[in-house]
Amino acid sequence: MKTLNERYDYGLELFLLSIDEGITGYRDDSLETVKRNQQQYDMPLKILSYGELYGWTMDAIVAQIGKKNNCTFCGVFRRQALDRGAAMLNVDHIVTGHNADDIAETVLMNIMRGDIARLGRCTLICTQGEDTIKRSKPFKYAYEKEIVMYAYFKKLDYFSTECIYSPDAYRGHARVFLKDLEAARPSAIIDIIHSGEAFEVKEEVKATQKLQQTCKRCGYMSSNELCKACTLLEGLERGLASAAITDRGQKKFAAEGTAASTENMRTIPFFHMPVGQTVDVPPGNVSSAPQTAP
Amino acid sequence: MSDSCGNPATETEALMPRRRKFDKTKICVKCKTNPGSLIIRHAVYCKECFVPLTTHKFRRSLEPFVNAKPDGPRRTALKPQGNLLVGFSGGLGSTVLLDLVHRYYVVPDKALIQDDGGSHHPRHERVWKRVVVGYVEVCDAFPSMVERMSDVRAIMEGYGGFEFVPLRIQDAFDPCWWKKIGRDPVNLGVDMTDEALKLLRLEESTSPLEAMRSYMASLPTTTARSTALQTLTRVLLQYTAQANDCSHLVLGTSLTSLAVSLISGVAHGGGFHVREEMQEEWTADQSSDREVDVAKKATKRHGLRIIRPLRDVGMKECGAWSWWMGLKVVGRENWEWPGFKPGIGALTKAFIVGLEKDYPSTVSTIVRTCGKLSPKGIVEGKCISCERPIQSGIQDWQARISIRSRHNGDEQAPFEEVAESLSPFLCYPCRITLTSRSTRPILNPFPNSNHDVSLTPLPMWTGRVLHPPKTSGSEEGDAEIVVGRTLARSEMKNAVKEFLLQDE
Repeated sequence: MKTLNERYDYGLELFLLSIDEGITGYRDDSLETVKRNQQQYDMPLKILSYGELYGWTMDAIVAQIGKKNNCTFCGVFRRQALDRGAAMLNVDHIVTGHNADDIAETVLMNIMRGDIARLGRCTLICTQGEDTIKRSKPFKYAYEKEIVMYAYFKKLDYFSTECIYSPDAYRGHARVFLKDLEAARPSAIIDIIHSGEAFEVKEEVKATQKLQQTCKRCGYMSSNELCKACTLLEGLERGLASAAITDRGQKKFAAEGTAASTENMRTIPFFHMPVGQTVDVPPGNVSSAPQTAP
Repeated sequence: MSDSCGNPATETEALMPRRRKFDKTKICVKCKTNPGSLIIRHAVYCKECFVPLTTHKFRRSLEPFVNAKPDGPRRTALKPQGNLLVGFSGGLGSTVLLDLVHRYYVVPDKALIQDDGGSHHPRHERVWKRVVVGYVEVCDAFPSMVERMSDVRAIMEGYGGFEFVPLRIQDAFDPCWWKKIGRDPVNLGVDMTDEALKLLRLEESTSPLEAMRSYMASLPTTTARSTALQTLTRVLLQYTAQANDCSHLVLGTSLTSLAVSLISGVAHGGGFHVREEMQEEWTADQSSDREVDVAKKATKRHGLRIIRPLRDVGMKECGAWSWWMGLKVVGRENWEWPGFKPGIGALTKAFIVGLEKDYPSTVSTIVRTCGKLSPKGIVEGKCISCERPIQSGIQDWQARISIRSRHNGDEQAPFEEVAESLSPFLCYPCRITLTSRSTRPILNPFPNSNHDVSLTPLPMWTGRVLHPPKTSGSEEGDAEIVVGRTLARSEMKNAVKEFLLQDE
């Protein structure tokens, strides 16, 4: 991004944004790489930690709920953290390093777990809702192998490791499966992406999906009165984290919603869109979120 | 006694607690009286409840689509417009399907069908006048495969009431078979050495067996060979159904097999065909006099409905039905040859079947999720290889996402070129099947055969490429004309130099 920005005079003001999930032995090493990147590229860096934003690190979450289902917390918290970090930097466009392998894996995962809403949008290069910051995945068609090769020949710092809390996660099975498919026929990855682009959610199904609203507690986009991050956080704070994961638990929490007392309970700061953010205006600031082993 | 073999108390504690396979109780969830005999997705069923449950799922997936106008939960008598073709492979799913079709629509099983409404009630009329069973023998595709035709024939004779239509996979390349079903044969070939897939008219007639083997040997990957066999089998059945005036073709795809084929289809780039993978209505192009006559006779006739009535019945349930009903499963040959490595289909099957053990609801979720999808974009025609819709703009898409080079077209083709390229007439998965290569070397299943990859024969139905149906939007000259040549390294560098970053 930096090279292209300088060469073609894009006029972008670039920032680095990294999320620290608070996983000892996993993220702390990769953050060192990010800090070196900051020096090499001379770009401002913002590291936003789960501890700072939610009051809980992933180490603390795993200590409470165990290794099962911890990816649910991490995924939900990271998505919000990226938007909140970008809002803190007052940027209007986030670019992430998701590659073709990641997208293909997501297509398969969304089919297998029946996540129809995400399936409909996971192959878009650029996504933007009314209440979210624009996001792009410029490496959508670049294989992980190509990216590693580029990093190798350009002698770039490249960090890749598997999360210590998710060795047996469902996604892990999908990733191994995808690698087997790629070995059988290398075009499989791009073919899966093509498939993802070739279908859409039926109109009658779309009509039954919940309308997007904003979380009554934190102001972030949500399909219920409370967003998923607030529900999960409330579960952690009340010592009922496992209940918050299930649909039934989420409905119960959402039903209690804003009426539930949040005294003596940590909550997420209210989300405000960056000032001047509009859909039509070409992006001025681009936050290049370093992506290491998603 | 047991104390002498160690310390049982300690060993009991050392064992991991066994995960229960069922939710609450071992009593059947339906009748709530009998002890259960089978666990289906955490729910326990006894044999007495399992039988009506399975037949209900079978009929629910088939009967709403029998009448010309699909009428949801059936209220009226079943009056199909034609006959029924049952696609039989010898596998578990099609064995169960054949049994169910026989019990319901050939020789009604009084133990299953309620005898109410009087003996002359329309409900008791035979639904399909003719029930034809089509079996495609694939043993000639690869060496060391065992022929099962006689076993299958014995099963048909055991049932009685079915018309048996034996087919061989090489029939797809047989002009005599093509003539027999009332069509004009055209021998077409393709140059598989070039990604442009130049079409050629083949003058020399090789035997159908040689043509089929040459086609299989020319395919670039194991995945492509398995996919091609599946496609050839399905399309052979479709044309057979049409030749027998069938309005319905039923296949024994179980819930598990459907989940496998959906995921495998997505991995082949067949996202546009998700709907067809579950259920489709197919119409052959009207290129013969016979067909026109049929069309005149019944102008309102719908296309051939390809239905998978076991799409709600899992592999485990099929196994239980087969066991309790005492069915003989002939079995399907593995499509393997010396040096074989599993392709996408085999890998997907292993993955999904393995996943189903730990996550029994996954297959159902996959099928339900795919049921909520519809194809995106415009249909540009029908693929001449698999007979499914072609998505508009796939060539542009391919050109946009990757740098592609084409070979020199200066060499004189030894056969007449009938069109510049086959590519515009293929859907994305079929194009990938013919062109996508692997880093793994692929062995020829028949190393002693002399086949020329530049003159690969094509199935008979591809002949309609010479008479593409006219659509409102297409005019002559719309077809892509590819004039290709090999790019020199310097030219390639020039084309991308703008995007190359300077070395530090």
